[in-house]
Amino acid sequence: MNSLSIGRLSLIFVLTAGLLVIGLGGYFWHEISRATESLGVSEHESARQEVAQALQTTVQHMRESGQALANWDETRQQLVFPEYYALWRDNRVRDANMMPRSVLAVALYDKSGSILAKQEGAPALPDRLPGKAPLSIYLSVAGQHQVDYYIPVHADAGAGILLGYLGLKFDLLNELKRAHSFRYADLSGLVVRLPGNSRIDIENSLAHMRFGVLKNTNQVAFQRLFQDALLRLTLAVLVSLLFAAWLLRNFLVRPLHNFSNEINAMRTVSANLPHGLIFKTPLHITELESVRQAFSDYQERLAALHESLAQNSRDFFDQARRDALTGVYNRRAYDEDWHSLGEDRRLTNVALLLFDCDHFKAINDTYGHSVGDAVIRAIATSLQAALRGGDKLYRLGGDEFSTVLVDADPLHAEAIAERCLDHLTAHDFRQYGMSEPATISIGVAYSQAGELSLSELQKRADLAMYAAKRPDSPKMVIYSEGMGELTALVANQSINAVFQAIRDPGLLEMTYQAVMHLPLVQKEYVEALTRIRFNGELIRPDAIFPIVQARKLDSEFDLAVIRAIARDMANGFLPPGQGVSINLSAPSIVNAKVVDAMLELVRVQSVHPGGRKIVVEITETALITQMELASANIGQLRAAGALVALDDFGSGYSSLRYLATMPVDLVKFDISMLRLLENGDPRQKLILEEIAQMVLTAGYELVAEGIETRAQLDKIIGMGFTHAQGFYFGKPGEEIEPLGHS
Amino acid sequence: MVRWIFLALAAVAVSAFAEPVELQMPNKVVAKAEYRAGEAGKPTVLLMHGFLQTHEFPTIQRLADGLASAGYSVLAPTLTLGVTHRKQSLACEAIHTHTIGDGAKEIAQWVNWLKARNASSIVLVGHSFGSVETLVYMSAQRDPLVRKLIGVSAVEGRLKVDGAQREKVIEELRALVKKGDKKLFTQAFSFCPKYLATPQSMLSHLEWTPERILKTASHLPIPVVFIMGSKDDRIGVNWIDQLRKSRLKVRVIEGANHFMDGDFEFDLLDNVLLELKSL
Repeated sequence: MNSLSIGRLSLIFVLTAGLLVIGLGGYFWHEISRATESLGVSEHESARQEVAQALQTTVQHMRESGQALANWDETRQQLVFPEYYALWRDNRVRDANMMPRSVLAVALYDKSGSILAKQEGAPALPDRLPGKAPLSIYLSVAGQHQVDYYIPVHADAGAGILLGYLGLKFDLLNELKRAHSFRYADLSGLVVRLPGNSRIDIENSLAHMRFGVLKNTNQVAFQRLFQDALLRLTLAVLVSLLFAAWLLRNFLVRPLHNFSNEINAMRTVSANLPHGLIFKTPLHITELESVRQAFSDYQERLAALHESLAQNSRDFFDQARRDALTGVYNRRAYDEDWHSLGEDRRLTNVALLLFDCDHFKAINDTYGHSVGDAVIRAIATSLQAALRGGDKLYRLGGDEFSTVLVDADPLHAEAIAERCLDHLTAHDFRQYGMSEPATISIGVAYSQAGELSLSELQKRADLAMYAAKRPDSPKMVIYSEGMGELTALVANQSINAVFQAIRDPGLLEMTYQAVMHLPLVQKEYVEALTRIRFNGELIRPDAIFPIVQARKLDSEFDLAVIRAIARDMANGFLPPGQGVSINLSAPSIVNAKVVDAMLELVRVQSVHPGGRKIVVEITETALITQMELASANIGQLRAAGALVALDDFGSGYSSLRYLATMPVDLVKFDISMLRLLENGDPRQKLILEEIAQMVLTAGYELVAEGIETRAQLDKIIGMGFTHAQGFYFGKPGEEIEPLGHS
Repeated sequence: MVRWIFLALAAVAVSAFAEPVELQMPNKVVAKAEYRAGEAGKPTVLLMHGFLQTHEFPTIQRLADGLASAGYSVLAPTLTLGVTHRKQSLACEAIHTHTIGDGAKEIAQWVNWLKARNASSIVLVGHSFGSVETLVYMSAQRDPLVRKLIGVSAVEGRLKVDGAQREKVIEELRALVKKGDKKLFTQAFSFCPKYLATPQSMLSHLEWTPERILKTASHLPIPVVFIMGSKDDRIGVNWIDQLRKSRLKVRVIEGANHFMDGDFEFDLLDNVLLELKSL
């Protein structure tokens, strides 16, 4: 059952009550009318009885009057000596008061029934006795109701001597009115209906009489009084109902309706809660007022809670958009602001500045993460101080920052960029224990007159940054059309190539550089090196990896490389039994998908007939942030049969520190360390030799890369290196020979 | 007191024996009367009522009762006055066509009726104008059985005018009668302020003047006695004196009025009885 609103319920109640009142009023009205009608019937019957009684009295009166006249001496006198009959008839009878006033005429008839003297004029009795007396006949003459009454006249009551007859003509209405004071019957419209010209005895005339009923003024007055009272009562109740409805509406329905609306509004997520204006006015119903106060208190508390939540939300929102380390806006804020600006919107006087710290990995490796963090904070602080008041500084990740300058022409943007460089240069990095200052590269791009969208601006800034990162480039590069076409073409092709290669590992064209076992200088396995064949051009690693690192695509790219190597193993490009070394970046060693793919590859090769040696080279060890997970994953790889090599040992990315924590099998000396064997001073050479000795003594196999000459080879053989690789043994991809061949 | 009670009881007893009598007159009109039979040997009294009255008139009834109680046969007839079976006093305004002679004729019929009843002697007693009626009868149709006439409160048919005017009226009436004019006319007559009568009827009454009454009474061969009330206001102021002067026997009851009612009815009865005894 659907619930009803209080307004509708009240309306139904009021309408029902109103209909009930009207119904009751109608019922009582009907009852009064029925009672009146019943009284009318009763009065009609009373009128009939009244007329019957009056008729009886009239007949009696006529008899008595006639008999009195018949017994009158002078009547007999006229019947015997009618000489003066006319005088007697016309004067004497009336003068003697022997005749009622309702008698219109009198006549005497002799014994034969003939009138004593014909009467002229009306009303008159007939000349002949119409029948045997006594006789009473009703007549209607000229609309007048008359009764002719005839009675025999005897000489003496006891003698029985008939002298003649007496005729009397009565006015029936007068006689009836004289006989009775009518309360019910209205004889003014008396009608006596007789069939044809028949005559009736007055005693039997009642059945033929039609007459009205007098209006009972008391009854009419009472009926009107009752009906007026009923009408007034009904109207009063209806007005009271309307008043009650008004009270109900204003004191109950509307407050409840408002309560309901408020509560419904609170249920709506989008509602602005709470407004509560309606509930500021006190209500007149005590219980509702209590509810109002409670609800108002609740609303106020809810408002406070809501405000608190909103503040928290704003705080959380702000915090979510802030970089915890530096306090500047983070990548998320950058993406949102970028989105809000509109990626396809044509920009006018907007400049995009990208900042990237130079050699930050080396700083981290050299001075530790805390110093690295301090450097990042210092860069953020310096950049923020160099920007204008309303400019936002975003940390996009690691050591990468950016800002979008609105209302900035190229000169202005360039000035701000230079001011950023100046601020950073002025910063004293020695306070962090650093011997050299940290530097940044800045790529600047701008759209002056709506010619670029944000995405296009981003690409240009990337290219500018790419250019700034190139050796011998200025630290701040503003994108320009002159230098941009080729660079942009290359850059765009490289970027596209990287993304396409990740989606399609078939684009990866792997080359394998031999790793020789020493001292016999025998090829033991090959190191897989990556190139991309895209649009007919071969993109080399020095173009690939900056993009991979800049786009944070390390894991995805390594996964594509593993699939490419598996492809080469499957199609025989890597001959069976040919060991292979695969480079994994720091993010990849802690990436489950990459590790799983690597383990699958190792397991497949371990069960393959003849098997092959799989070496996993972990690069940029310093960037590993989850050392425990990395160690666990390395342990799994080793347990599966793979060997693990620590790449770039001695560079900024790898140091002795990681040997203590990472379970590796091989240590691969960075080429820069080997350069020290040739160019370094004796002390540096000694340290290098001692480190090599120490690593070997610890049980690791030691790999030297970058061997280009025989002298270098001899030197490292002398130092005890177990493996070597470099152009001395051939350029990568020149040939892949079966095991045992050099 | 004892006497009154006795008489009252006797009256009731006698009246119970009053016999209604009807007698058809020569003109076919029936007259009514009341007859009380008395003791044999005693004269029969014929009581004649006054002007327009009947035998039911109280003075007549009381006197009849008293006489019957005394053992006299009493006949109290009602003159018809032209009304058959008349039993009511005839109203002054009624149409009067009867003459005083008509009444005398009816008295003669009743005398005959009494004679048929073997009345040995008859005494006529008239009250008021009834006295004149009996006198008229006696003057016209005297019967030998009638031995005495007693006039009680005897009075003439009086016009309420002086003598000269009365004569003038009479003359006019005579002229009308002579012309045969039967047109009714109204006249203040006797106790009637408006008496409606034919000229002949009226004239018959007016012609019996006091003088004619005295003269006629004086010349009757039978004793005539008048019993008058000293307080009778219906008679002329000197009527009693005129009666006395005419040597007629007059008995005056002191204090009695015209109707001899009250205690005077007994005085009347006593006087009548005295006259009867003296017959």
